[in-house]
Amino acid sequence: MRVAVTGKGGSGKTTTSAIVARVFGRHGLAVVALDCDTNPNLGISLGVGSVETERLLAMRETLDDESDDGGGDHAPGWDDLLDRFGSDAPDGVRLAVVSRIENPEPGCL
Amino acid sequence: MLGSVDFTGTTVLADLEAGIGTLTRLHQAGVDAVLIVVEATPKSIEVGTRALGLVIEKGFGRVVVVANRVRHEADLATVRAAFPGVEVVGIPDDPAIVEADREGVAPLDLSPDAPAVLALVGLAESLLPSPN
Repeated sequence: MRVAVTGKGGSGKTTTSAIVARVFGRHGLAVVALDCDTNPNLGISLGVGSVETERLLAMRETLDDESDDGGGDHAPGWDDLLDRFGSDAPDGVRLAVVSRIENPEPGCL
Repeated sequence: MLGSVDFTGTTVLADLEAGIGTLTRLHQAGVDAVLIVVEATPKSIEVGTRALGLVIEKGFGRVVVVANRVRHEADLATVRAAFPGVEVVGIPDDPAIVEADREGVAPLDLSPDAPAVLALVGLAESLLPSPN
């Protein structure tokens, strides 16, 4: 099952996502929580703490740097990515920060 | 990523970027259910309405509008009126959520019995796959 949470900034998506993810975990589902925000802080709402949340972002940026360098002849598998860039949140939830700090689209230029 | 990675056996919960940009780029194969989080304000409802249009257009399946920070019945009525025919779940405005945010901890841990937390737990449980 794949659930996406959307809405205006500040509406409560992250709080909603975090509680839903952990409840899924409590009911025995193998949950992967993806933080797709360019300012990721789902980890904090999940309960992994701000230090770990910052660490995850730093790792994600490392991956961005590696791929920008053209590193690797093969794309890492999802399990590899989770192992490298994921974190264990409470209730068995695995968290990954997947947003990429891309060049901003020139919407306002 | 939602559409390109094999998530068999895994339940994925994607907290999308604010706004609807990512939603415009998702396709049907990637999503089974969408939670559209709105507040009872014109701006928030406007974003939610555009999100709903995209969700319907792309045929994402189950949609739930989460009416957040509901202070009184009128807030919920406002959201229901803006999304006729769509399942709407109300989450009460709750200082416990604000407190958890201030402390940088999970609301579920800090205040598991807070009204908003209980309402979100109820929402989550309604999304669980039914045993067959």
